Amino acid sequence: MAARKKMAGWLWSLVLLFAATTVQAQDRQITGKITDRSNGSPMVGATVTVKGTTISTATEVDGTFRLSVPANAKTLVISSVGFQTTEVPVTENVSVSLVTGNDALSEVVVVGYGSQIQRELTGNIARVKSKDIENLPLPSVDQALQGKAAGVYVNSQSGKLGQAVTVRVRGNSSISASSQPLYVLDGVPITSDDQSSYGGAMNPLIDLNPNDIESMEVLKDAAAGAIYGSRAANGVVLITTKRGKTGKTSISANFQTGVAEATRRVPFLSAQEYAQMFFQAAGYRDNEGGIDPNDPDSWTSYARSFLDYYSFGQWSETSTANYDWQDKAFQKGNYNQADIQMNGGNDKTKFFASLQYMDQIGTIVGNNLKRLAGRLTVDHAATNWLNVGFTSSLSRTTTRRLPGDNAFSNPVQASALPNITPFTDPETGLLTGTPPGDEFRTLYFNPFISIEYARYVQQSYRNFSNAYAQAKILPGLNFRSEFGLDLLAQQEEGYWGKENNRNTSAPNGVGEYRSAFVFNYNTNNYFTYNKEIGKSNVEAVLGMQFQKSRANYSYVEGRDFPSNAYQKIASAATKSDGSSSQTEFSFLSYFARVNYKYDDKYLLSLSLRRDASSRFGRNSRNGYFPAASVGWILSEENFLSKSDVLSFLKLRASYGIVGNAEIGNFPQLGLYIGDAGYAGAAGQRPSQIANPNLKWETTKQFDIGLDFGFFNNRISGELDYYVKNTSGLLLNVNVPATSGFTSQVQNVGKLENKGIEIVLNTQNLVGAFKWSTSLNMARNRGKVVDLNGQVIEGGVGSMNRVMEGQPVGVFYTVEYAGVDPQNGDALFYRNTNNNGQLDKSTVNAAGYNSAQRVVTGDPNPDWVFGFTNNFSYKGFDLSVFFNGVTGNQINIYGMGRYSSANFRFEDNQTRDQLAAWTTPGQITDIPQARLYRNNGAQISSRYIVDGDFIRLRNLTLGYNLPTSVVNRLKLSKLRVYVSGQNLWTITNYPYWDPEVNADDFDSNIAKGNDFYTAPQPRTILFGINVGL
Amino acid sequence: MNMRRIINICLAVFFLTACEKKLDLSPTQSISQENALLTEGDVKVTLIGAYDGLQSVTLYGGDIQVVNELLGNTDNILFTGTFAGLADIHALEITTQNTFARDTWIQAYNTINRVNNVLSALDKVTSSPEERDRIEGEALFIRSALYFELVKLFAKTWGDGDNNANPGVPLILTPTAGISESDYVSRNSVAQVYAKVIEDLTRAESLLPTSNTIYASKGAAAAMLSRIALMQGDYAAARDAANRVIASGEYSLEGNFENLWYLYMNNGGANPAEYIFSMTVTQQDGANSMNTYFGISIGVAGTGGRGDCKILGAHLNKYEEDDVRGEFFAQVGANFYTQKHLDIFGNVPVVRLAEMYLTRAEANLRLGTSVGDSPLDDVNLIRDRAGLDPLPAVTLQNILNERFLELAFEGQALSDAKRTRSNWSGNAWNSELLILPIPQREIDVNSNLVQNEAYD
Repeated sequence: MAARKKMAGWLWSLVLLFAATTVQAQDRQITGKITDRSNGSPMVGATVTVKGTTISTATEVDGTFRLSVPANAKTLVISSVGFQTTEVPVTENVSVSLVTGNDALSEVVVVGYGSQIQRELTGNIARVKSKDIENLPLPSVDQALQGKAAGVYVNSQSGKLGQAVTVRVRGNSSISASSQPLYVLDGVPITSDDQSSYGGAMNPLIDLNPNDIESMEVLKDAAAGAIYGSRAANGVVLITTKRGKTGKTSISANFQTGVAEATRRVPFLSAQEYAQMFFQAAGYRDNEGGIDPNDPDSWTSYARSFLDYYSFGQWSETSTANYDWQDKAFQKGNYNQADIQMNGGNDKTKFFASLQYMDQIGTIVGNNLKRLAGRLTVDHAATNWLNVGFTSSLSRTTTRRLPGDNAFSNPVQASALPNITPFTDPETGLLTGTPPGDEFRTLYFNPFISIEYARYVQQSYRNFSNAYAQAKILPGLNFRSEFGLDLLAQQEEGYWGKENNRNTSAPNGVGEYRSAFVFNYNTNNYFTYNKEIGKSNVEAVLGMQFQKSRANYSYVEGRDFPSNAYQKIASAATKSDGSSSQTEFSFLSYFARVNYKYDDKYLLSLSLRRDASSRFGRNSRNGYFPAASVGWILSEENFLSKSDVLSFLKLRASYGIVGNAEIGNFPQLGLYIGDAGYAGAAGQRPSQIANPNLKWETTKQFDIGLDFGFFNNRISGELDYYVKNTSGLLLNVNVPATSGFTSQVQNVGKLENKGIEIVLNTQNLVGAFKWSTSLNMARNRGKVVDLNGQVIEGGVGSMNRVMEGQPVGVFYTVEYAGVDPQNGDALFYRNTNNNGQLDKSTVNAAGYNSAQRVVTGDPNPDWVFGFTNNFSYKGFDLSVFFNGVTGNQINIYGMGRYSSANFRFEDNQTRDQLAAWTTPGQITDIPQARLYRNNGAQISSRYIVDGDFIRLRNLTLGYNLPTSVVNRLKLSKLRVYVSGQNLWTITNYPYWDPEVNADDFDSNIAKGNDFYTAPQPRTILFGINVGL
Repeated sequence: MNMRRIINICLAVFFLTACEKKLDLSPTQSISQENALLTEGDVKVTLIGAYDGLQSVTLYGGDIQVVNELLGNTDNILFTGTFAGLADIHALEITTQNTFARDTWIQAYNTINRVNNVLSALDKVTSSPEERDRIEGEALFIRSALYFELVKLFAKTWGDGDNNANPGVPLILTPTAGISESDYVSRNSVAQVYAKVIEDLTRAESLLPTSNTIYASKGAAAAMLSRIALMQGDYAAARDAANRVIASGEYSLEGNFENLWYLYMNNGGANPAEYIFSMTVTQQDGANSMNTYFGISIGVAGTGGRGDCKILGAHLNKYEEDDVRGEFFAQVGANFYTQKHLDIFGNVPVVRLAEMYLTRAEANLRLGTSVGDSPLDDVNLIRDRAGLDPLPAVTLQNILNERFLELAFEGQALSDAKRTRSNWSGNAWNSELLILPIPQREIDVNSNLVQNEAYD
């Protein structure tokens, strides 16, 4: 109610504002023609803008334009992708020919509450443009940043469709709070945290059609980010959607279709190898116990009865049957997508509209995703001093989810089932383990039963809307007011038929229905001022922002369904569980920024933001986040401007303070919670210890960078060095559990990230055959400086650890020392501290508890890089994009403890276990197989492996049909292409995919864990793009 | 045009669009701790919260019993489950990171804090002295039961060396409002823990009503006291406490052994009159982790579980022919499972009357007394219910054997082996390996805690 009142208040004020203003300016008409200097041909779609205004148009097919400009307009700015931006004085008839070139420097870059020319930036902003985002077989836009933006590390985590991805901008700067960047869509900070309740975290960015996006700017340093204050420490990703352009209405359609399959498989034992090794492991136990293998109570007899039972009596020494359970987890996926986009307009009104349908069938059985998304954007010049605009999108995303990696029903866990077990129960003809047949005939629950007789579908409806009014108050002074909202309505429905009883303990079926409703609104109101005085140019911004987000959740569970024909809770005989809940947060902020430029050479930028939030304690509610940056364009100086070699050189430096407030809602309060009922009586319990002093994490960041261009910018690039010092970490500080609590959120501890970033763009060939290369690479080194003595663990086997002097989440384990060649014992280094020397003597399993843990790996990569080559010749274009990481380790203990564990358990084993020790003197890394005995399956560095990889992420070959052909078809464009995603991976990683983060374990610190995690899909697409 | 006016309007728009009040948001599912314990009603719901804690799967929801059963128990159970923490407990390859040891520790103290909150606010209970007594008695019962379980799991057995020197577990008796130096506690001695538990349970028994539905009653406190006394070898106290429970007439032996189980499937979730204290499981609340690990689906609707604990032939052979308890195993494939925990929503028994008869019999026999009844009569009562012929005469071994079979897989056998100084699956009764480690996270955060010998 209050919100509505407030809305009405400022809308009314705007109406007053309109009424108070009289239009006095006199317009005049100008015309012109823009051509390409290299061949004199007319340029279609070049943008002509009156400098310092938003008055602009685009050229027609014949290169001409017509524009109504204010009487006092002096300069026109003409720009087009691939050409140098040119400024000319306003005349009645303008004729300009543009020069080709690397025009990156003159491109307009979106910054917080405004935009800036790349050349004049003093902060570090990485930009990914629409052509790098469009038509990739990726459900969410954040994945398009992978390998494209230096210093931005993207890990897709798993091959399950639509699940969360890890995005780290310049390292991990938090431990307990989120480390994901802030996503701002057309000025609105959007809901980007998981809202799902099943399996791994989902990615709410899948609701956004990537083809609607004009550009994504990643604000990396404090100079760029501090205007977002307490929410900028993890970087800010500004997503800007496409808007209409003046000129002929253009309609384009794109269709693409393709196939996908999982990138990699893991070699497992065949049925016969499994049986042989089982007998080998059982034989050890008989030998050890002095038991005659022929004794019916011997381990060997047990092995025989085991093989007999799990193979329905089919297994024998001579049987050749082999049921590849791993293979059944994977399927040929496919991908279909259709897009229509339309844009156009005149001087007064411009529009953009789009529609997309995407249908993806995953490479893991039972996984699919569909999206239907539409968008309409209108910009209108209401008067010569007032512009208004509106954009709204609506999408529906439907995902059939897979369970979390840790669930028996995760299809990839079928790999654990021995290949002796038939897929089908010969007695019932149903999937093995389906009742009324024996439910226990598969070693573990058969996950394909849940694919066949259960489903979990998530459907989200998402509306992003944004309206703005921008008024010119005085020459150079504008006021802009924006109101935006992000509405996320999501429902999840799950049903597990009675056939899943072994997994669900619901003998008559169980179903659930969940809803999440997130209403997030935001308003930005700010002045911009621009003034040129002699050689000085000043740009200033002053404004406020208010955001509030409220989330409501509800849930109902029912049991006992008449049959699988009834899957809604309405038919459940017992409504066994239910709840509803609500949470909310708000931010109120004021911000200011001044950019000063002198003589086109010397740049200075200062910014300040004041943030207050409902998330923080009463005693520390307001925070101030200043930043300052300077730039010096050396190439404008006389001593360099004459150089033929050097075309551009800018030195920039910045320092500022940003914060991180992503700690969930109400962490500062001492709370009781009313969820502690017992046997039908309501109850309450203490749930949280208060901390009235709680505030954001503070990150002080220093950045120094060099932007350069050589040979008329044919070679250009950026070099950056940064130091980020985070203090007052929002930490779930462990407290003695004897207090009744395990942690308290405190501002404790410090960590540091230092790194370098290198960007190099070259135009190798510029003739008819064009070849350009783009390389970016970054090295980040994170270090926990101070943790106040805290020990924080996470991940599979609690092997990830946060400790002082190390990067966040290092693997901290006992060190594996291989196998004793004499007896096949697994050995571990003692690593006890002996007067500063680590004791490198070894112990076997019996002495394992006396071996000390040491750092045996780091899930954070050293180098992250992307390498793109673009070729074009006549109508053909080819793009080859590699990316990769080096120097990180992965923890495979999740599956390794069962499946690479020389028969610690009965799971099918990876084929490398065939090398298990058998004879004295044998040198091997795999300990002797001792059935059910833990000989080396303890937590150790045996299960920490290198995760380096280089991946051919995308290869696209396209052909634009010649204009003559296209014109005959009455089209403006016709392009066909073939595109491949994840075509080739170079790695030594032993399991499925080195790009991994097991979803059930994922947290800030629990990175680099593999737990039967699905590999990325390899997708091949054929596409056609038609322009009218 | 009047520029000043425009600017003024813009400024007004700009600065008035939000106010700081919008930042005062409160959670909706929680309330602040200052407002949580103000009335008698608040105290009562907090007591329910303590039962909720006690019922956690990591406590009497079943893990305490499961861990007691699995700890090194290779003579009776083949454990093939994938929970590494339990596999290690079964194989006695426990590490200090063991998640079951950790979670039971954390949840026990969490629940103790709930109890301490109740006890700190007893002055709010003003409706009647009886109500106040009941609340205090129940709270003391919950806390004492937990300390007894903790000291058995995490410390040396009573009498294994010097009880005054052996570290027990920290005794926390006041609620936690904030974290200060005093929260970095040390372990109290085994003797101190037992003394406090006996003091509190004795008071609880005096305060509690005889009948108290599913909540702790006078009989529950006495039954727990009998267990503690037995553990200490104080047979007179054990005998008298057990006799008080039997003589109260509040409980009676179920005629048919099988009717003690499948309570949700066959009895609508109601307890038989033999149950003295149990954790009530409903479809909406609570879980039975005995069922999780010992249970399995036997093709009958309502049964389920992971089937991790396979009962070995060696155990099955211990029953006499015709013993209904020996028939109370289900075969699935080549493996056998106890039928005591197959019901997915079955209540979790903590203590039942049969144990009181066996305790009284053992204590009477050891003391040469016949308080209540003779040892022979008490044992034959239990044998008769199991479909066995009465014994003509009874020895201590007879009673211990009967106790082992009657209470099999209910979490009592390890304590019995320890107190009778018996070998346990090839390990000495006082093996350091039969004690859980103090959780590593607790040692890491609180340097005042000493680790148990086997893990140091």
